Amino acid sequence: MDLALDCFASLAMVQLRGDPRELRAMTSQALLQIFASGLLTGLIYALVAVGLSLIFGLMDIVNFAHGEFLMFAMYATFFLWLLTALDPVLLAPLVVATLFFWGALVYALIVRYAMRAKANIGMVQIFSTFGLGILMQGAAQYLFTPDYRSITSSWFGGKTLSVAGVFLPLPQVFGGAVSILTFAGLYLLMSRTDFGKALEATREDQGAVALVGIDKNRIFALGWGLGGALIGLAGAILAIFNYVHPQVGSTFALTAYVVVALGGFGSIFGALAAGIIVGLVEAAATLVIEPSMKSIGIYALYLAVVFIRPSGMFGRL
Amino acid sequence: MDRRQVLKLGIASLAATAAGRALAQGATEVKVGAIFPLSGSNAQIGVDAKHAIETAADIINNVHNIDLPLAKTAGLQGLGGAKIRVIFADHQADPQKGRAEAERLITQDQVCSIIGAYHSSVSATVSQTCERYEIPYVAADSSSPSLHRRGLKYFFRPAAHDEMFSAAMFDFMDEEKKKGQKIETVALFYEDTIFGTDSSNVQRTLAGQRGYKVAADVKYKNNSPSLTSEVQILKNADADVLMPSSYTTDAILLVKTMAELGYKPRNIIAQAAGFSEKTVFDTVGDKLQGMISRASFSLDLAAKRPSIGQVNELYKARSNRDLNDNTSREFTALLVLADAINRAKSAEGPKIAAALAATDLPGDKTIMPWSRVKFGPDGQNPYADPVLIQYIGTKFVTIFPTALAAAPAKWPMNA
Repeated sequence: MDLALDCFASLAMVQLRGDPRELRAMTSQALLQIFASGLLTGLIYALVAVGLSLIFGLMDIVNFAHGEFLMFAMYATFFLWLLTALDPVLLAPLVVATLFFWGALVYALIVRYAMRAKANIGMVQIFSTFGLGILMQGAAQYLFTPDYRSITSSWFGGKTLSVAGVFLPLPQVFGGAVSILTFAGLYLLMSRTDFGKALEATREDQGAVALVGIDKNRIFALGWGLGGALIGLAGAILAIFNYVHPQVGSTFALTAYVVVALGGFGSIFGALAAGIIVGLVEAAATLVIEPSMKSIGIYALYLAVVFIRPSGMFGRL
Repeated sequence: MDRRQVLKLGIASLAATAAGRALAQGATEVKVGAIFPLSGSNAQIGVDAKHAIETAADIINNVHNIDLPLAKTAGLQGLGGAKIRVIFADHQADPQKGRAEAERLITQDQVCSIIGAYHSSVSATVSQTCERYEIPYVAADSSSPSLHRRGLKYFFRPAAHDEMFSAAMFDFMDEEKKKGQKIETVALFYEDTIFGTDSSNVQRTLAGQRGYKVAADVKYKNNSPSLTSEVQILKNADADVLMPSSYTTDAILLVKTMAELGYKPRNIIAQAAGFSEKTVFDTVGDKLQGMISRASFSLDLAAKRPSIGQVNELYKARSNRDLNDNTSREFTALLVLADAINRAKSAEGPKIAAALAATDLPGDKTIMPWSRVKFGPDGQNPYADPVLIQYIGTKFVTIFPTALAAAPAKWPMNA
C-alpha cells in the first residue's frame, strides 16, 4: 500500500509538477493527509451547502443571502459563547433554533412577497435575497465592527488527533461526523415523516397539494426554517475553528453554490456527494497545480458535469 | 400644517444647511482624498486608517505641543491658516472601484491630492487616475516595488517598499548566520495579487543571491475557505524560515491550519500586512510567539522620541489600539503631504507635486525610524529604513537593525 502510494506520489510530482525538489518531500503519509483533509473539508462544504439546496429544491429559489445566513450563525455562536462561556457544541442547538426562526421570518417577510411579483419574477427573487445579503453584511459590520473574532477556548478548538502521522483536527472531525449524521437525519426526515412527504409533495406540485389540505405557505416557511437551521448548524461548527467576520460568508458561499450546482439543484444527496468531491478535488489539485489555481479543478469538473448532465449529478430538473 | 407645508419647510431647511456649509468651507479649506478599504474583508484596516489620518488632520488643524511639522500652529500657515479636510472613499479591495472613487474624488469633490490605499493593486489604478488629472498621489502603505517604477510624475511614497523590507530580512538572517545559527532554507508563502507576487519575486531573488535554498514556493488564492493543502506543502518542506506575505484573513487561517496540522515553523519572518494587525494577535497570538515581522514603525522608539508616544496617545483615544506598521505610515503620509501643500502655498496639483519633490524632512521630525523623507526622481523615499520587530508576550519589540534594537532577537522563535 505504502509502496503504491509512494509510486503515485512520484508520478504526480515528476509528471505533473515536474519539480524534483518536492518529490523527495512528498511521501505516502502526506498523500493520506491530503486525502483526509480533503474529505473532512468536503463534508463541511456539504453541510454548508445543503440548506441552499433544500430551499432551491422546495421552491426553485436560490437564496443569495446564503453566505450571510452562515455569517449570522457564526456571530450568533460567537456572541452566545462570549455571554454564556458555554462550549459552542452545547450552544449549537440554540443557534440552530435561532436560524430556524430567522429562515422562516425571511420567508414570511420577504420571499413570500417576492414570489407574488407579477412580472420578472426571477429577477425579483434574485434581487430580494441578494439585497438581504448586502443588508445583513452591512448591519454586521455596523453592529459587530469589522474586527475578526474567534472562539478561543472550546472542547475541540485547536486540538488535533494524530493517526499514524496523519493529523486530523478535532473540530473538523467533529464537523464531519455531524455532517454525516445530519444527512442521515435529513434522509429519514424526508422519507419517513409526514412533514418530509408534505415537502416532497409541495415541490412536486404546488397547486395540487392544496387539494389535499396542505398549506403551501406553511410548508414553504418550514422549508426556509429548516434550510436556516441547517446553515445554523454549519455556522456553529465553523465558528469553532474559523474566524468570524462580516465577510466570512462570501468565502464559503461561492463554494456552496458550486457544490449545489455540481450535485444537482435541489438534491440533498447530491450536495453530500458534491461537497466531498469538491473537498477532495481541491485538496488533490494542489499536488499538480500551484495552490492559487486550486479551484480550477472544481470548475473544470463542474464544466464537465454541465456538458454531460446539465441538471447536475443528481439533479431532477 | 399639511403635507405640502412640511415638504416645503424640509426643502428650505435643507437648502439653508447646504448654504451654511458652503459658507463655512469658503477658501479656508484644503480637500484631500483618502481611499481605503472601508468595507469588505479588510474593512478594519480602513477603519484604522481613517482614525490615523484623522489624528494627523487634528494635529495639522489644531495647536499641539508635539515636535512634528505643522503641529504647533493651527492650519496651514502657507495658505493663511487653511484647514485640511479629508474626504474618505471606500475601494473594497477592488482596483476598479478604487479607480472610479479616485475619479469621483477628483472631479466632484475637487480634492487637491489623494492618499491610499493599503492594497498595492488598488494603489496601481488610483495612482494612474491621479497622474491623468495631474493630482499628487501619496502611497501611504502600499509596498509593492513595481509601483514607483512606472515613470509616474505624481506618485510619491514616503515609506519603504518590499525590496527594502525584504533586504532587511535577509540582512538579519545573514547576521544570525554569522552568529552560528543554522539558516539554510526558506519557504515562501504568498497571496496571488500584486502584493504577494511582488513580495515573493524579491524574496526569491534575494534568497538566490545570498545562498538560501527556497524549500517551498507556495502561491495561494487569497480569502480561501481552506489552506490545508497549502500548509501541507509548507510542512513537508519544513524550511528554517517561513516567509509569509498575507493579508489578515489568510494570516489567521494560515496560523490556525498550521496548528491543526501539527506544523510548528522553526521561524517566521513576515512581510507585515496581516501579520501586523492587532486582530491577528488577538485571535491567534499564542501561536505566534517569537514571530518576526518587517515594519516601518517601532513603538518602543517612543522612549527616545517623545512625539511617537504623544501621537500614539492621540490615536489610541480614537481607535482604542496602538499605532502599528500600517497606521503609522498612513499618519505620516498625510503629514508629509500637508507639509508640501503648506510649502506650495497652493492647492493646485502640479505645485503640490513640485513641493513634494522638494521635500527634505529629517527623520526625527517624523514618528518613523527613518533617517529622512526625501523623494528620488521616481517618487520613492530611499531613506525610509525598515526595522524588524518580534512578537514577545503581547507586544512587539524592535530587534533589527542593531542600532535601533530594544532587545536581541529570540532565535529560533520556539527556543
